[in-house]
Amino acid sequence: MENSQEQSLLQMNLDYDGGHILHETVRWSRFLSIVGIIAISLMVLVLALAGTALAAVLPALASGLEALAGLGTSIVVLIFLVIFAILGFTVFMLYRFSVLTRRGIDRQDQAAFTEGIKCLKIYFIIGGIFAILGLLGNFASLVSIFLLTRIHP
Amino acid sequence: MEEQQISPVSQDLDNFFNIAFDGVTRAQLRQAAVWAKISTICAFIGYGVTLIVAFINQFSTSASILGAFVVVALGSWVNYFLYRFAVSTIRGIDSMDSVKANEGFNNLRTYFKILGICLIIGLCLAALGVLGFLASLGAASRY
Repeated sequence: MENSQEQSLLQMNLDYDGGHILHETVRWSRFLSIVGIIAISLMVLVLALAGTALAAVLPALASGLEALAGLGTSIVVLIFLVIFAILGFTVFMLYRFSVLTRRGIDRQDQAAFTEGIKCLKIYFIIGGIFAILGLLGNFASLVSIFLLTRIHP
Repeated sequence: MEEQQISPVSQDLDNFFNIAFDGVTRAQLRQAAVWAKISTICAFIGYGVTLIVAFINQFSTSASILGAFVVVALGSWVNYFLYRFAVSTIRGIDSMDSVKANEGFNNLRTYFKILGICLIIGLCLAALGVLGFLASLGAASRY
């Protein structure tokens, strides 16, 4: 009896406020994930329909993608497909977080709730890796500007 | 013995949501918060670098500097809530404090809410742009 009381004291529970806040959180994250899934699906559709034409034009249009110009169109399409697949997986994880966490709260299902939090973790891990890569890109642009100002002062 | 008995009604009220942050859930949530913290710190450093690049780049115009300022201000504002989610949640889990964890969830809610509202505004602007484009096409076909 004492042991179970001690355990319940040490245990952290989701109280009314927390449940209410999480309920609203998953509503917004669900909206974001659904819009994200639609947007990525549209981009994949555009890539499938006009992939070769886009792959030829895009490196010239978008700054920072000049390095892609030297590659073949099929490789460029493949690179974009990989990027879309990673983005799609990230957005899907956000969707699963929304659905499973909501199910966990509504049905008092501990397993679904834990699975939902796991999906949130995966979403933030991918976001963190992208953030690190973005930071490296930022530093690369800073270094290139320094080099440019040295060459052309 | 009688004092130790807790009525099921009061227990139900105490745990309105019968979901526990067990060891596995706490570990997952902590890792999520740690990665959220890493991404926000990277974002803040990145915003600093963006500002430096905007200022020292000899090709940048006043419009591009202003654009960089707007992006950095908006991004910092959004990421501040994610950072607070990370800090409060880690603190709440480490000290087994539900109030701190709730504070963290509240910041996560605000973060997603801001992103959602920005997305709605962006979608509305995109729809307006498409409508404007179609209207200009229609006007051009008349003449």
